[in-house]
Amino acid sequence: MIDFGFGVSPSSRINLDSADKEKFNELAIAEPDVLKCMACGSCSASCTAAAFEDTSLRRAILSLQNGLGDDASKLLSHCMLCGKCTMVCPRGINTRHLILSIQKIYSL
Amino acid sequence: MIYLLTTNLQQISPEGIIDRYPNSYNHFVLPFVIGITFILIYLFIGLIRILYHLTGEDRLKLLKSLFNPKTAWKNIKDIFCDCLLHTKIWKRKPLLGYMHSAIAFGWFLLIVVGHIEVWLFAPRHLSGLTEGSLYYPIFYRFFIWINPAHETLRGSVFFFIMDFLLLYVLSGIGLAMFKRVRSIALGMRHTTKPSLADRVALYCLWLIFPLRLLAEGFTADLSGGGFLTRPLNWVFRAFFGNELNFLPTWWAYSICLGLFFVAMPFSRYMHILTEPLLILFRNAGLKVRHPRKGFAEAEIYACSSCGLCLDACPMNVQKKNLKYSSVYFMRFLRRHNKRKTREIAEKCLMCGKCYALCPVGVNSPAIRRAIRETQNNKIQCDYSYLGKYAEKSSENPKSGGKILYFAGCMSHLTPTIIKSVETILKASGQDYEFMDRNEGICCGRPLMLAGRGDAARQTIEANSKIIRNSGCTTLLVSCPICLKIFKEEYSLKGIKVIHYTQFIDSLIKEGKLKVSKSSSAIVYHDPCELGRGCGIYEEPRNVLRAIAELKKASKERDESICCGYSLGTLTLDEKDKAKIAESSVSSLMAENPQEIVTACPMCYRAIRSKAEVPVKDFAEIVCENIENNDKN
Amino acid sequence: MKNNILVIGGGPAGLEASKALSQMGYNVILAEKEKRLGGHLAKWDRLFPDQVSAKEVLDSMLSGIKDVKCFTETDVNSINLLDRSFNAMLSNGITVLADAVLLASGFDMFKAEKKEEYGYGIYDGVLTNADLEQAFREGKSSNPAPKAIGFVHCVGSRDEKAGNPACSKVCCATAVKQAIETKELYPDAKVYCFYMDLRMFGRHYEDLYLRAQKSGIRFIRGRVSEVAETAEGRLLVKAEDTLSSRPLKVTLDRLVLMAGMRPSEAGHKVGRQLNLSVEEDGFFSARDGLLSLQKSKLPGFFYAGACTGPKTLPDTLHEARSAAMEIDRYIKENFRK
Repeated sequence: MIDFGFGVSPSSRINLDSADKEKFNELAIAEPDVLKCMACGSCSASCTAAAFEDTSLRRAILSLQNGLGDDASKLLSHCMLCGKCTMVCPRGINTRHLILSIQKIYSL
Repeated sequence: MIYLLTTNLQQISPEGIIDRYPNSYNHFVLPFVIGITFILIYLFIGLIRILYHLTGEDRLKLLKSLFNPKTAWKNIKDIFCDCLLHTKIWKRKPLLGYMHSAIAFGWFLLIVVGHIEVWLFAPRHLSGLTEGSLYYPIFYRFFIWINPAHETLRGSVFFFIMDFLLLYVLSGIGLAMFKRVRSIALGMRHTTKPSLADRVALYCLWLIFPLRLLAEGFTADLSGGGFLTRPLNWVFRAFFGNELNFLPTWWAYSICLGLFFVAMPFSRYMHILTEPLLILFRNAGLKVRHPRKGFAEAEIYACSSCGLCLDACPMNVQKKNLKYSSVYFMRFLRRHNKRKTREIAEKCLMCGKCYALCPVGVNSPAIRRAIRETQNNKIQCDYSYLGKYAEKSSENPKSGGKILYFAGCMSHLTPTIIKSVETILKASGQDYEFMDRNEGICCGRPLMLAGRGDAARQTIEANSKIIRNSGCTTLLVSCPICLKIFKEEYSLKGIKVIHYTQFIDSLIKEGKLKVSKSSSAIVYHDPCELGRGCGIYEEPRNVLRAIAELKKASKERDESICCGYSLGTLTLDEKDKAKIAESSVSSLMAENPQEIVTACPMCYRAIRSKAEVPVKDFAEIVCENIENNDKN
Repeated sequence: MKNNILVIGGGPAGLEASKALSQMGYNVILAEKEKRLGGHLAKWDRLFPDQVSAKEVLDSMLSGIKDVKCFTETDVNSINLLDRSFNAMLSNGITVLADAVLLASGFDMFKAEKKEEYGYGIYDGVLTNADLEQAFREGKSSNPAPKAIGFVHCVGSRDEKAGNPACSKVCCATAVKQAIETKELYPDAKVYCFYMDLRMFGRHYEDLYLRAQKSGIRFIRGRVSEVAETAEGRLLVKAEDTLSSRPLKVTLDRLVLMAGMRPSEAGHKVGRQLNLSVEEDGFFSARDGLLSLQKSKLPGFFYAGACTGPKTLPDTLHEARSAAMEIDRYIKENFRK
């Protein structure tokens, strides 16, 4: 497609065509639980770090699915691995291992 | 007599002992000499390697500890009790303890007494390589002829002692063989699968002592013998007639010894030689710094592969998880199998039971954490907000009072704990402040367990600042996970860190809290971090005995089974956790209690999800039994 | 000779099937463990979506079972297969030889105290959907009126940790209904519904939702994760408003937990004696999930209602009628040749 250069800033639209699927697949092998999230928000609601800074595993997973790896890393960079999210997750996702895996695979 | 023709009468001692061979040498000693030379060289190089890999600071620490009379005495005591007598195994499984001490201590005494015998009767063979100092005391009975007319009482005593010790070792070997067939008879449900080198060394070890008995039996009419070897000699003579049969058995005995020593460094039997080193390191206060080198290497080679950790590991309630046990972890570490060691390191619950029950005291959880460090410590994170929060919260100190209560992240998911602790604090008239009622910083233990020590230190720093600036004198903690790190990693001078089980125990002892005894039968679950982690077993039991009838679990105190929901594991899945929780509950239900009590938010949730009887938190059950004298 | 049919469970499924079977001319024996017939329906006040009175519905059901032998406060002590018939010993001492058995054991309510973090049994202001219905039935209202009330959907449903991975099907509509009723009772109160997904799948259900919205009930898409107590004894509830992607907290006076459906323990007791298979969720498995929903793997043993999974009341009644039809066919094929 030709870029006519009309946009002043890059589009905020999520582009699934250009989303990085390779890293996501790598993540899904390291921690298959990433596919189990139903976005209920329990993890973010109970998050210890979220009381101070913008932290959300739910949104991080969503970002990854949309190919926004940097957003995900930022959303998890304040995590203290306290494990509350593991306890409240209704789908039994191993959130701590998932967070560590995301941090390693999508390191900033 | 034919043998006398080959005998060169070298020297006749006053005891009537005559060397039968020129230079006291026969070719059969070669396998033994080669073996022992090999192992001595290997040992020397290994020791240098391990010492080289220690940090300078650790080396200095070690050196100092060796000259400190207190630690030196502890070293001697530990080496004697752990390496030879195996007191740790005796305490838990007497028959297994007897087996190990029979082989280790018996063999040790055989060598020592054998040398004393040579020193008394043929002292020149103990000095100088040419006189056979390396092998002569081992094959002493082969090289001598004793004139029966000159046999002394002193000599007979040694014959008796040596035969007795041999019998002692043989009884141990017999049990060891029996254990291979039926391990459960010695109290082990699972045993380790031996590797090839293990097998070679094992069969050699089994054969060494029966062969020694045979060999000494054949020569007993020449060298003399005790109650075991002399009758054996009569039997052999009756059956074989010709005394020349004995040389092949001495060859076989020597080959087995030689082969054992050569196989040793590649087998589990390296623990015999490494364990004393580990004891020196441990008593010097060294810690694991690298997952494979230095201290860790000493631990890896000190692992005896006995397999006691197989039954200890809570994951092994499912047979498929046997492969994650410490014994295999150590084996893979030894083989430098990075993939497997990483997998096991991440799976582990870090409950510490294998460490608690290990007869050698191999701290495999520490090595697991070191492996996690290599994986996770470099993860980049942004904890700058912690400092800001600590700064802000220190501006208006939370506690003018004496007690600062820290509930911890997890306790916020178990409101009953928080509510009960506050009720008790109020009922006993304590002046307290709630540190993390609305928000708080994680204690850092979960980060530490995940191998992110650097990150953990940032949360530790922030929390320390808040606690120190609060003006409190006591930090009350309800979560054992927090307690462990507060005690070990925080520097809170002048502030007493105390778990609520200890706190309530002291309140009752001081008469500040009055409780009444109910008739209900309860059982107490020891949380890993509280029991094995901080050594708190008595205080909760003191209190519980005062309020109810305390039953026993089938496994408790340092043998308590982890609830499965430990924060230690990184990769264990939900189903496996549930299975572990079930096995923990079934151990607790051994004496059919009406209620289960525990003192950890994680254990509380895990056990509640599986137990059929009511599960209560420690503070909750105390609350139910507070006597309300003032109100009436 | 009339064939004996044993119906286990006197809830809507058991009652409706008994009615149909006795109309077909069978000798129906009904065993109910509770004091009165009606099951959970007897404890409810009004029913979604049209808020009809549960009592009226139940009364009309009861009027149809005059020819049925009903034993209340009666458990099935033992049951076994004798030749082609079932021999059941009831706890009242009566032995029944039945040619067919219908299991209508329904469901148990999820024990809300198992979701420790919601504080049921710890905080006074936390109650369950069943508690609220009972209060409605008894016409109780709080004085002073609560200022803010929250409803938590999916308590013990869609929750692998609670051992209930499936949706309980009725809680969304019940929550919306109860929210409307609460709002009617306390018009000045703020009412919140915390939902994961709003499953308003039935006819008129969406109307109910719209009505709730119009009456000012606030719907928050997010699962409550923590409930704490404030110094004044009110409830501090934390959740994430997932639609605005921000953690949220709100102080409430009442929190109603929509406890889901669990397989009935009494039903399991019967099932174990006959080795009937249950699926991973604990509910009985039908012979075929599509074509033979009412049949068990055992010939002559049938299911109706929530013993094979969470169901709404209309679904349960349909199942009861079709079970009666299946039983009729089975008896005719096997006993009247």
